[in-house]
Amino acid sequence: MAEEEAKEGVGVNSEGSDSVSRVKKLLFRRMLVGIKDGRFFLGSFYCIDKQGNIILQDTVEYRSTRQSSPSPMEQRCLGLILIPSSCRTSCHVDSSIDEQFSLLSLQRTSPR
Amino acid sequence: MADEAATVAPHASIPSGDNSVWADVSPLLQAASQDLQEGELIHGDNFNLFAAMSALEIMDPKMDSGMVCTYYSLDEAIENGAAPVPISEDKTIDVRCTIDIMDHLLACEATWHKGHSLAQTVYACLYLLRPERTSSHALLHSYCKVIRATCNAILSVVSDARTHEEEDLFTMAYGLPLCGDGDEKCLSLLNAVEETISRQLRACKASSSKRRVSEDIEPLQDNSDLEEGYCRALLCRLRFRKHFYHLLMSMKRPQGRGLELARKHIASCISEIDHIQKSSEFLRTSAYGMCDQNIDTTASGCQPIGFDASLNCRLSAPTPPRSIKILCWEKALEYFIKLLQDLDIVCSYSLDPSLEAALHFVVKFQKSQPDLVSRAHLQLLLVQDGKLYGRDSMLSMITRAAGLPEVTENHDIEKNEFMMQLGQLVINLLKILCTNTAWQRRKLGKMLQDWRVIYVQLEMAFKKKFEEASTTSNTKKICFKIYQHILAWVEEKTYWIAFRFLSLGFELELYSFHDYCMVYWYIYVVLIKLAEKKHLRMAMSSDAAKKKAKKKKDSLKDAEMDHHIPAAVLFLQSQIYLAEGLSMMFAAMRNEHRIVPLQSPFNTEHEIFIQQFELLQKACVPDHISYVTFKESTSHANLSTLAICDYFKEAQRIAKEVKSSFANDSDTMAELRGVEQVAERNSIALNVCRVGALDPKLKISFAFSHHPFFATAIVKRS
Repeated sequence: MAEEEAKEGVGVNSEGSDSVSRVKKLLFRRMLVGIKDGRFFLGSFYCIDKQGNIILQDTVEYRSTRQSSPSPMEQRCLGLILIPSSCRTSCHVDSSIDEQFSLLSLQRTSPR
Repeated sequence: MADEAATVAPHASIPSGDNSVWADVSPLLQAASQDLQEGELIHGDNFNLFAAMSALEIMDPKMDSGMVCTYYSLDEAIENGAAPVPISEDKTIDVRCTIDIMDHLLACEATWHKGHSLAQTVYACLYLLRPERTSSHALLHSYCKVIRATCNAILSVVSDARTHEEEDLFTMAYGLPLCGDGDEKCLSLLNAVEETISRQLRACKASSSKRRVSEDIEPLQDNSDLEEGYCRALLCRLRFRKHFYHLLMSMKRPQGRGLELARKHIASCISEIDHIQKSSEFLRTSAYGMCDQNIDTTASGCQPIGFDASLNCRLSAPTPPRSIKILCWEKALEYFIKLLQDLDIVCSYSLDPSLEAALHFVVKFQKSQPDLVSRAHLQLLLVQDGKLYGRDSMLSMITRAAGLPEVTENHDIEKNEFMMQLGQLVINLLKILCTNTAWQRRKLGKMLQDWRVIYVQLEMAFKKKFEEASTTSNTKKICFKIYQHILAWVEEKTYWIAFRFLSLGFELELYSFHDYCMVYWYIYVVLIKLAEKKHLRMAMSSDAAKKKAKKKKDSLKDAEMDHHIPAAVLFLQSQIYLAEGLSMMFAAMRNEHRIVPLQSPFNTEHEIFIQQFELLQKACVPDHISYVTFKESTSHANLSTLAICDYFKEAQRIAKEVKSSFANDSDTMAELRGVEQVAERNSIALNVCRVGALDPKLKISFAFSHHPFFATAIVKRS
């Protein structure tokens, strides 16, 4: 039931928002999220909520084996994960160079 | 802000796709978040909220085992000086820190016994993870060795006993260095270190009393004011470990041969714990100002060096990711005292060659709520190599318990396949009785069906035998006797198990107040059967015994004896009256609307009956008992009927009467006193209720103040 509501929610309430529709286009793209303790998660973008919590699918975790040297990277598969917005430090998507410019242009025009 | 994050990202090491780059989308996401409504999500068509709920939450200490901890690997921790050897170049500090490590390890050990994983408790100690590193530090090395050996011994006892099903983290030790080189010789090294320190203690006492200073002994550390205190603190800790290890080794000896010796070591352990407790004051004052002193796992209050619980989360796969709380030092000592006391009870058992005695002992032992380790030890003592105490064969124990006449000893009863199965069933029963109460109850309930099946199988097998042996009348007689005795005993034990199953429900708080009526009613019907079977078996045994002495006595006296009901049955009788009285009292209160029946949208009374007694019903314990019979026998109960009161009066009378027969049995006496008190109080409460039947202010409540499962009624005017 909650699922149904959520589905409707996207369509009805935020239809007018340019940024929301752009984020919708990012769904299922490869996303790289860095968190506070220095790890990175690479997975397919599955969901985001108002608070900025992100769910990734088929995720791989990357971390350094030693604190002193950031590489070589150690990795393991995690599957479905939820990254709370409070510990997220960076967020990137895999994109072509052209597309990167369009994303950057949005950055400037988007309301802050 | 977003740009900063971008520069930190290791784009170089995590490749993006061909001809593509990592584009920062943080600002876009933030913008979108602002536009979203509360509770709104951005997701694709295949989104499933239920699946999303099972996502692993990053940075949640309970779910995320990969959270970056202080150190990334054991090597890195050691290189960074997390576990130095020696701990300090300053000998005084080195001794102080060693004592902290010992204390923290003890707290970890107790936490492990309480059901946490070894990897997060004892093996959070980096010194234990690299056994060879401590070899230059005799004190620390010997202590680590004995800790490893002790953990190994306890681990094998618990996994052999398999009493740990519910506490399955306990035996998980995959990937941990449980056996260091030469750990089996841990005692010789420990003894050598103990010897050195006791010499140092003697030397410092000699020098303080201005006697001749013995030059050849190097002091433990450099501060002469602290020498005696540190020596003493170390000695009691080392000696505790020594005796504890000896204790475990003595208990391991087959057929309970080491129990007497084990008791001596238990006494020594307890006295060393006392010294350890007393050393706390000295350790706190000597460490004053040298550290924060807000740690509760050590006597000194200082943070122990060389521990990192999070490291194992990364190193060994089976370590649970959630962080745990280590017991404080005082609680750890309390735990060990309780463990030692429980083990002392086990060791003090007389190994009475009787099944009934063994069963009675386990049930009594469980009353003190012993922990896993002592329960495992008890189980291994009771059942060794498929024999009781590793000594008496189960079949001979069963025939003795069934009160079979001596003639059967040479009979081929042992060859019977179903008798072998019965023997196995009794072993299982003993093992189950040693497990924790929740697990025990479930297993007992499931076991009832096996007991019923074996009863039917034995009955058929014996019948066949009986027909075969019909040629000679003497063998026929013997066969018939065996058949009767064994079957009566199997039935008696079945009802005994059912009774324990029902009464454990109170201990586990599985019954709600509204279920009490049916629970007491069921206890009542089971107890009646138990008393009946017990009486039958006892009558048969005394019959057999009497026939032996028949020639001397005249037959008139025998007939008189038959009417005498044995005390054990009378004891059950008093409980029967009490259970029946309670059941009728609850039924009467329900019928007269003194208890508002629970209006649950989910379960009707019938459904609750099935849920509570499903296992008993499946096993037909007792036969022909169902919800309908329960309803029929309780629907007419009311407070004004005097008969109800008589149940309690009867229970009280019998309990009082039978007391004299159990003068030497303190446990049964206590039990009888409980029954008597509950019966007396309930009888009074019922009278008050009846007199003030119309008084709506009269409130009745129940408490288990005099008996663990027979409730005492409390009447109050509100």
